Amino acid sequence: MKSGKKIEFAPYCYLVPSMLIFAVFLFYPFFKTIYLSLFMTNKMGQAKLFVGLQNYIDLLNSKSFQNSLKVTVVFVLIVVVGGMLLGLVAAVLCNKAFPGIRVFSTAYALPMAIASSSAAMIFQIMLHPTVGIVNKLLGLDINWLNDPRTALYCVAILTAWLNSGINFLYFSAGLGNIDETIYERASVDGASGVQQFFHLTLPGLSPIMFYTVVVNIIQAFQSFGQIKILTEGGPNESTNVIVYSIYRDAFFNYRFGSASAQSVILFIIIMLVTLVMFRMERKGVNY
Amino acid sequence: MNQIDSMAIPVEGRMTTEELFELKNKMNTKALAKRRSKTVLRVVANIVFAVVILLPLLYAISIAFMPSNELFTTELNIVPKHPTVQNFIDALRTVPLLRFIVNSFIMAGFITVGQIISCSLAAFSFSFLEFKGKGILFAIVMATMMVPGEATIISNYLTVANLGMLDTYPVLIIPYLTSAMGIFLFRQFYMTFPKSLYESAKLDGCTNLKFIVKILMPLTKSAIGAMAVYTFINAWNMYMWPLLVTGSNNMRTVQIGISMLDSIDSQSITLMIAGVVMIIIPSISIFIVGQKQLIRGMFSGAVKG
Amino acid sequence: MKKKLVSLLLTATMVMGVLSGCGNGKTSVSQTGDTSTDEKVEMAAADDVDGTTITFWHSMGGVNGQAIDTLVNKFNEENEYGITVKAQYQGEYDDSLNKLKSAQIGNMGADLVQVYEIGTRFMIESGWVVPMQEMVDADNYDVSQIEPNLAAYYTIDDKLYSMPFNSSTPIMYYNKDMFAQAGITEVPDSLEGISKIGDQLMNQGGASEVMSLGIYGWFFEQFVGKQGLDYANNGNGRDDVATAVDFDKNEAAKNILTEWQTLNQEGYAPIVGKGGDAGLADFSAGKSAITLGSTASLKQILQDVNGKFEVGTAYFPKIKESDEGGVSIGGASLWALNNQDPKKLRATWEFVKFLISPESQAYWNAQTGYFPVTTAAHEEQTFKDNIAQYPQFQTAIDQLHDSSPEYCGALLSVFPEARATVESEIESMLNGKESVDEAVTNMADTINKSIDDYNTVNN
Repeated sequence: MKSGKKIEFAPYCYLVPSMLIFAVFLFYPFFKTIYLSLFMTNKMGQAKLFVGLQNYIDLLNSKSFQNSLKVTVVFVLIVVVGGMLLGLVAAVLCNKAFPGIRVFSTAYALPMAIASSSAAMIFQIMLHPTVGIVNKLLGLDINWLNDPRTALYCVAILTAWLNSGINFLYFSAGLGNIDETIYERASVDGASGVQQFFHLTLPGLSPIMFYTVVVNIIQAFQSFGQIKILTEGGPNESTNVIVYSIYRDAFFNYRFGSASAQSVILFIIIMLVTLVMFRMERKGVNY
Repeated sequence: MNQIDSMAIPVEGRMTTEELFELKNKMNTKALAKRRSKTVLRVVANIVFAVVILLPLLYAISIAFMPSNELFTTELNIVPKHPTVQNFIDALRTVPLLRFIVNSFIMAGFITVGQIISCSLAAFSFSFLEFKGKGILFAIVMATMMVPGEATIISNYLTVANLGMLDTYPVLIIPYLTSAMGIFLFRQFYMTFPKSLYESAKLDGCTNLKFIVKILMPLTKSAIGAMAVYTFINAWNMYMWPLLVTGSNNMRTVQIGISMLDSIDSQSITLMIAGVVMIIIPSISIFIVGQKQLIRGMFSGAVKG
Repeated sequence: MKKKLVSLLLTATMVMGVLSGCGNGKTSVSQTGDTSTDEKVEMAAADDVDGTTITFWHSMGGVNGQAIDTLVNKFNEENEYGITVKAQYQGEYDDSLNKLKSAQIGNMGADLVQVYEIGTRFMIESGWVVPMQEMVDADNYDVSQIEPNLAAYYTIDDKLYSMPFNSSTPIMYYNKDMFAQAGITEVPDSLEGISKIGDQLMNQGGASEVMSLGIYGWFFEQFVGKQGLDYANNGNGRDDVATAVDFDKNEAAKNILTEWQTLNQEGYAPIVGKGGDAGLADFSAGKSAITLGSTASLKQILQDVNGKFEVGTAYFPKIKESDEGGVSIGGASLWALNNQDPKKLRATWEFVKFLISPESQAYWNAQTGYFPVTTAAHEEQTFKDNIAQYPQFQTAIDQLHDSSPEYCGALLSVFPEARATVESEIESMLNGKESVDEAVTNMADTINKSIDDYNTVNN
């Protein structure tokens, strides 16, 4: 009896510390957000006028919000693909021991040591049309951050760069866990480097790859600091990702209701994406 | 080495031993040269890639040493012509950056340790134990990752204000003592261990806690390392929350220090970049200090082979 | 019967709700500071505040922040009342205002807070503040010492709500070397005039662009004022709460955008980005011949240029040469918060008086480039030395004095949002996404809707 009870009880014990903090600092405020999303709020952010789903209906019909959705998708795609590619290339380059590996692996991980706001300040000067190094080196005269055609790519590449450091670490950890002997055997069998990469390395990376993709997607959806500093959602709303739009409405436009509704929509989108990812995990990941 | 020998012998079966030796040496130097050139190629590729990755940082360092009038020119200015440390001196004089760095260290350090503990415990439960509602609970944990931070910050502020915790270290730390991402990462690693590992440990009379501390944690050093560095740096880089809950310079963190270098209407870019460079140094140092352990864990496979 | 009773009750509550709603709105306008209790807070006597500590929230980083710290330390050492001021930097203006919103619910209040000029209407309606006028009256302070054009902005219904502190106006900066090379002796005073000399500056003056004009809501507001027109209805939102913008009906916006578009299409003023400092780098690097910027940016510009060319300053341009109007101020002012504590209120007032004393203001002006709030500061040696070193600053002073207080600018509850809307519409127009008329209509519609929404839930 006793031991049976213990077994029932123990698993939850290990969850208590985490769950307690989630409950107070995430679930509670988030339910409050859902509640607020059904109201028009006053300038203090207090619920004033019950409007039901009107905030949601207004949003889904608003051109600006539709644009935000589109921008967010493009942004997330570039950030995830770019950031993971940079990290993967770096990890493969540092896969085998060679002189100076320490220095290089430090270099590849460095971008993650930089706060998004700091990185944004650096990029702002690099991309400045007149005094920036990018135009000077390339001999171009492009106003990178103020041209609606280029602004989104600039912000996305910056974010990909920022994320590449941690991706490098994840992939390195994953590569380290692949048993080296399978490469040796493959070499004996005459497999080329490229074949080895696609048939051994990538599948071997799949558990960490799955984690990395999910984390990258979620992080990309929530990128904010760099957009606030570099473009403020402009030009022509071309970089107005949902998180920035939430920030504007909540902290700037005195519209907590609408901001809350956007938060909920963003939450649902990320959840759907993650669910799909987990579906795929069951099929494609080798443990 | 073995491959070459075994390949060389059957083909050149009719040679004298001397010729054979000569050939062997030749092949060896060839292989050595091939391996050398491969290494050189690898180093070159690494150098090129590293420069690309580091370009923004190198440029920032260069600007930090520039007098501001050198930045504002239409000529090419990669390296400062008259390097100066004035920007750094000014930045340190404007803001008590050192105190802020200490605060950030305390905050990020506690958050990191706390997350490793709470996340290991939770991930252990999710991957080795069976219990009712496991799927749902895990889904709920995952869902917390998807809540946009902007949606919770005001409520959280009110919560801690009502608890009378403003402007203290605990208020900076407690809300971040766990993370879904950490739980997820550890679970991902724990899943690669066979269940039998846990079962046999249990049979040997190992308690759950002992299993986590003595077996799981040492086996997942690399994951813990990656997670620790990541958590530390994320905590180091927080802006909104520290800004809201701290008021005095005694509790401020470095990221706010950076924004304090920016004066409205008379923005000195070189001064700000000098500040940015200075606060990157501690996080880089943490990384370099921690990297011995971290890289060793990560490259354990490569080193073995 | 029962039904009737219920409906009667409902109507009654609704009417009461509406009434109290209106009432709240009105009381907070006319009798601010009384929302939490019905009693007014009286200041304690000055000799009664020994040992009082007050908290001052500000948004001044960098050199400006250093200047504030110096002033605060000086006050803490020298004041004879035993008052201690704790100055705390609270992030940028937006951050600070947001923190104030949460702090007022969470009770971590400040006693004195620096709020940007476009937050004025919000602060008046917040019900958190004690208008400066009450302290001025209680202390018989001579308001005439305060620069009238600065005080005008923060005076509503003849009541000084907050104390101007860091005030600036925008001026026009121009590259004297380029003007000389192009043989231009008369500096243009309107956008129209600038486009006339555009070719000269580019062909003979050696400028790559005539004007680096940042897309900045504040400039737009100044262009409206320079035409002598109103931004919003109800007397620019000063006679009563504004219910709609006026710049679409009085053609002000159309005139601005038309001229701006011309400059852009002629290749004189390419898009340089959003914000007040967007155009400065091009100017400092010697690429553009003209830029617009705050008077407070003068020092930094001179430092960035560092003698590469001579920097000239002139009045902020009008739209057409025939326009008549004036500039209004930007920057921030100091608001006393109502913490129901007479001693703290007195301490706050003593500190404010110290901050606007001629000596402090001369120092403040020399360090930061903001206007001295008190005219007597002009007599201080510090001020004289500063103006000798930066003669360009005289332009700013003259421009302020030449401008009549009637152009003190609009008040709008949703000003931060309105400014952002104006900027993004100008941007779209310059990018060729919409015509001038469409841009004006979109601006007006968006802002009017925000005003409506805001008034629905807040008044």
